[in-house]
Amino acid sequence: MINLKVVSPQKVIFEKEVEMAVLPGAEGDFAAMPNHSPFISSLRPGQMAIMSSNKVDESFFVSGGLVMLKEKVCEVLVDQIEPLSDVNSSNYQQSKTYQELEGNETALGTFEQVVNNPPYK
Amino acid sequence: MPNLKELKNRISSVKSTRKITSAMKMVAASKLRRAQELAESSRVYADSLSFILSSLAGNTKNSADLPEILTGRENSKISLLIINSSDRGLCGGFNSNLFRNAKKWISDQQGQGKSVKIMTVGKKASSFYKKTDLDIVASFEDLNSNDRQLQVSEEIKNKIMELFENNEIDEVSILFNKFVSAISQEPTYQSLIPLSNDENSEDESESNNAIFEFEPDKNELLEYLVPRNFLTQIYRSVLESSASEHAARMTSMDNATRNAGDMIDRLTLTYNRTRQAFITKELIEIISGAEAV
Repeated sequence: MINLKVVSPQKVIFEKEVEMAVLPGAEGDFAAMPNHSPFISSLRPGQMAIMSSNKVDESFFVSGGLVMLKEKVCEVLVDQIEPLSDVNSSNYQQSKTYQELEGNETALGTFEQVVNNPPYK
Repeated sequence: MPNLKELKNRISSVKSTRKITSAMKMVAASKLRRAQELAESSRVYADSLSFILSSLAGNTKNSADLPEILTGRENSKISLLIINSSDRGLCGGFNSNLFRNAKKWISDQQGQGKSVKIMTVGKKASSFYKKTDLDIVASFEDLNSNDRQLQVSEEIKNKIMELFENNEIDEVSILFNKFVSAISQEPTYQSLIPLSNDENSEDESESNNAIFEFEPDKNELLEYLVPRNFLTQIYRSVLESSASEHAARMTSMDNATRNAGDMIDRLTLTYNRTRQAFITKELIEIISGAEAV
């Protein structure tokens, strides 16, 4: 298990033990698992998925940020985050994340894509 | 002898003042709790970010490889000071302490042959510095909600990046009242350009041990990190300052409430004495009148 800690500039969103987390790194998706080599990367907009035994337990949209991966800890510093369980294709435009991203076409496009058809499901 | 009616009016006006100050104290106390929570919960992000930045910068042996915005320019000529004041008054020495401190800093800088520019946050600072002959590059007011605080931090960040790139400033420092405890706040400087490395000395030794891989490469990461770091530091100082403001208001309003209470006691005493004196005087008049008959 790896300790996944998700932090926004305002607060700690959550912190928990997970088997694996898939993150949208700047140069491609990667999976954070225990004993990964120390690694720092920025994030592109995309889906963050928490997985156990090859199934997605929880899924989020992140608009960008940074991730620092150490042996047993994965710290994700996100700009904006939206749990995908709260939004669907009809109401995602009302979400706070959507409004905050106003004007950022690429991020909004990815948001729409992730809501309608997440790469991990 | 004081007039009874006047005394009565005075007492009732001090009483209503006391009601106002004690209500303000209560409001400040509840706002303080919230502001403190915000300041504390934002600390996690800020700490992680500065850890990443220091491990990134520490990883680069040759400091010449780092961008100017991190290391500062040689022969810096113009420094910018961001002053975090409050929007409203009635908070004790909160603003005046800050301005006194800033004055010393400014004359220090001018003594070193640098020119100083000012950026003000909060109404008090903007009205104070309008009267001086200092160069104000921008003023921000009405930081009354958390969203607005974040928005202002973003604007300040954009402004200083722009000014730095146009060579209009060489150094940036930020001055704010650091929240030490509910009864103590201290004016604190933090240097944004060049990046100050004084805090988190423990973290640094840790970061030297772990060798991180970076993706994408360092320069691209720095390009993302540097503005993020400014934003976080500015936002943090704004939050600290707002927590300090509420704390300062709470203590000064507490004092004011207590003083009003003392004053009411004193006035009531005088009132009662005066009343008693009148009664005695009237009795004497009646008795001596009766004796004369």
